[in-house]
Amino acid sequence: MLFSSAAFLYSFLPLTIAVYFLMPRRLKNAALLLMSLIFYAWGEPRYAILMLLSITQGYIFARLIGKGRGTKRAKAYLIISLVLSLGMLGVFKYANFFAESFAAVFGLKIAALNIALPIGISFYTFQLISYVIDVYRADVEPQRDYVAFAAYISMFPQLIAGPIVRYSDIEAELTARAYGADKAAYGAKRFILGLGKKVLIANVLAELVNAFKASGEKSTLFYWIYAAAYMLHVYFDFSGYSDMAIGLGSIFGFTFPENFNYPYIAASITEFWRRWHMSLSSWFRDYVYIPLGGSRVKKPRALLNIATVWMLTGLWHGADWNFVMWGIMFAVLLIAEKTLLLGFIKKHRAIGHIYTLFFVMLCFIMFDASSVGEGFAAIAALFSRGSAANTEALYYLRSYTVPLIIAAIGATPLPKRIKAKLEATRVGGAIMTIAEPVALAALLCVCTAYLIDGSFNPFLYFRF
Amino acid sequence: MRTTRLKSILTVALAAAIIFGFAAWGMLKKDDAQSLSERRALAAMPKLSIDSVLSGKFMSDYEQYKLDQFPLRDAFRTLKAVNTYYVFSQRDNNGIYIVDGIASKLDYPLNESSVAHAAKRFGYVYDTYLKPNGIKAYLSLVPDKNYFMADANGYLSIDYDKLKDMLTADMAYAEYIDIFGTLSIEDYYKTDLHWRQERIQDTTKALAEGMGADDAAEYTAADADTDFYGIYYAQSALPLKPDKMYYMQGGSIADYRVYDYESGKYVDVYDMEALSGRDPYEMFLHGSKSILTIENPNSRSGRSLIMFRDSFASSIAPLIAEGFDRVTLVDIRYVAPELLGRMIDFSQYTDALFLYGTGVINNSETIK
Repeated sequence: MLFSSAAFLYSFLPLTIAVYFLMPRRLKNAALLLMSLIFYAWGEPRYAILMLLSITQGYIFARLIGKGRGTKRAKAYLIISLVLSLGMLGVFKYANFFAESFAAVFGLKIAALNIALPIGISFYTFQLISYVIDVYRADVEPQRDYVAFAAYISMFPQLIAGPIVRYSDIEAELTARAYGADKAAYGAKRFILGLGKKVLIANVLAELVNAFKASGEKSTLFYWIYAAAYMLHVYFDFSGYSDMAIGLGSIFGFTFPENFNYPYIAASITEFWRRWHMSLSSWFRDYVYIPLGGSRVKKPRALLNIATVWMLTGLWHGADWNFVMWGIMFAVLLIAEKTLLLGFIKKHRAIGHIYTLFFVMLCFIMFDASSVGEGFAAIAALFSRGSAANTEALYYLRSYTVPLIIAAIGATPLPKRIKAKLEATRVGGAIMTIAEPVALAALLCVCTAYLIDGSFNPFLYFRF
Repeated sequence: MRTTRLKSILTVALAAAIIFGFAAWGMLKKDDAQSLSERRALAAMPKLSIDSVLSGKFMSDYEQYKLDQFPLRDAFRTLKAVNTYYVFSQRDNNGIYIVDGIASKLDYPLNESSVAHAAKRFGYVYDTYLKPNGIKAYLSLVPDKNYFMADANGYLSIDYDKLKDMLTADMAYAEYIDIFGTLSIEDYYKTDLHWRQERIQDTTKALAEGMGADDAAEYTAADADTDFYGIYYAQSALPLKPDKMYYMQGGSIADYRVYDYESGKYVDVYDMEALSGRDPYEMFLHGSKSILTIENPNSRSGRSLIMFRDSFASSIAPLIAEGFDRVTLVDIRYVAPELLGRMIDFSQYTDALFLYGTGVINNSETIK
């Protein structure tokens, strides 16, 4: 079920809020688990069982690790749990990819495996892995209450597209959490703003991207429009989802970690990844990069660590070679910054901004491509000397100028700063007391209007 | 602090009012069977069963049901259209654009394989039925509203000359009758894709002359006394002014006998009940019909016409029929050309006209 659907907004969500808040405190986790399973089964009835099996193995092995801490048995339990989690991910997400790649390399004919990807498997598997490792490292205590643990892993706000919530983030809130008008209002605000980002910006820019893809006459200008639109689309799609997840979490009494911090204002790729999908990059840092030795090893090994982490990051995003290449492109940029560029960029931030936006845009072209070859061809087309502009490109540029400008401004902290300045004045603060709730209500109505007018609008990150 | 608290309470209250309010309204309101503005059946509540849940069908059907039965659905669609046009300043909404109160739908780009498909099916008809019976073939294309509106107002427009050249090249057996010059944007309904019957006398004349048929009848326009909200009115979701509808009387129209092959009955030329139905344009020869024959008892021409057509022909056929003993209209979007020999005796016909809107030729996947 998509958050940006009438069925979610006007059936599931009110029902879940009613069930949750009518339950006594001791049953709230059970209510949340039940509604989360319904939410998951709504999209993937068969795979709800798979998720429950994953949860159960994580629960059992974490308890066993907790009991045998410091012994070899604990390490064995950790390895078994990791093998099970990664094995599940490998079979359901990567089996097709590896089989096809193997067949292609050795010229073999292998029947397609056709294994469907369970929604959200990358997200909940990473949460399970981090939990089991954290228990092994004694960073957290194993959760004794199965319902509370299952509610954590399957919690519907973050289940299918993140952010990746670590157990330590919400450990305390799993047993005791506070509610109130301020928290609910913050949650409602984040949710509605996220919905607006997804429905009014990301989906509208997706129309432009689709128009480009459907075009038979792609001029150089059209490639640039597409590249800019897709880059903004990805940001508003994914950060919109994260906002909705964080907002829903807040309504139900949880504090989820932030996932985006205006990544397009970064002045280097290194900074970009501190602002983009932060829960994933910190996960790879803590559970892959640092265990590999991080940067505290010899330089060639440190560079290899970066390359390894970014290839895995690419693979995490999708089981295809264009995603691997996307990761490699970022690895090359990060290595270049680490070895050569960072000093220069720090002194020339304006150039750093332009350089970052430009290369991030190129990387996202590869991200969106259906193959590595197509990705490089599209990148090359940005600089081709063919048709510079055509009627079609100009038409779509005129038609999407306002959404593109709104998206470009919305991707910066400017609106937030203007609002903060306005609220800092006595009159402005008084006006915003009424204007902000009314504007949010209006935004919710406009989003509803777009949902009713449209039909199918899947989230980009649904299958990752 | 007090203002922050007030803001929080207001935010929660308004959001909850909308979400819980529309959720309750949606549950309590009676389901609508039809969308009048969209002219389609709306989804009904799906049946709950183990099979439908396990297959995911119940869920997908329920999501469609929620969208279709949402309270104030048309008002929300209007809100979306207003935001698209006036806030985002987008040039079209779902492909619909409006210039001076006239609505049209973008049809771009030129779909060459679609043109080829149409030509291939017409070629089959010619080779199978027309050529063996010595029937003289004609071709005419009806320009859509974009021909007059799109390019002039900065909207995307297909190359009409190229479309015509492609089709005529593939249909060398048919004599082309050009009617583009007989039409202007005023000859079309503002809220619909079709032309207005009371404004196509010149077009009728051009077609009749092109086929060497009689075009001497005098007609007068009768007011259908109805507000016509065309298909683009529904699709635009904006409060456009309705069109007035007229239909032509005079000539031999009152004496025509129209045979409907689907019902096996004779029917009227104009279906006055359709004026209050979902699509008033269906008043002309009863809308979508696979095969109809207009018999003109007053004609002494000795000629019979078989017209392969789309919906534009419904309103012009009664005018063209003046010059023929019989005009049979065949819509090969609703009947496969392979079956026509069983239903029509082609030896009775002297002439054939392929009369199609450019929109159907450019989107010919519906042609069987």
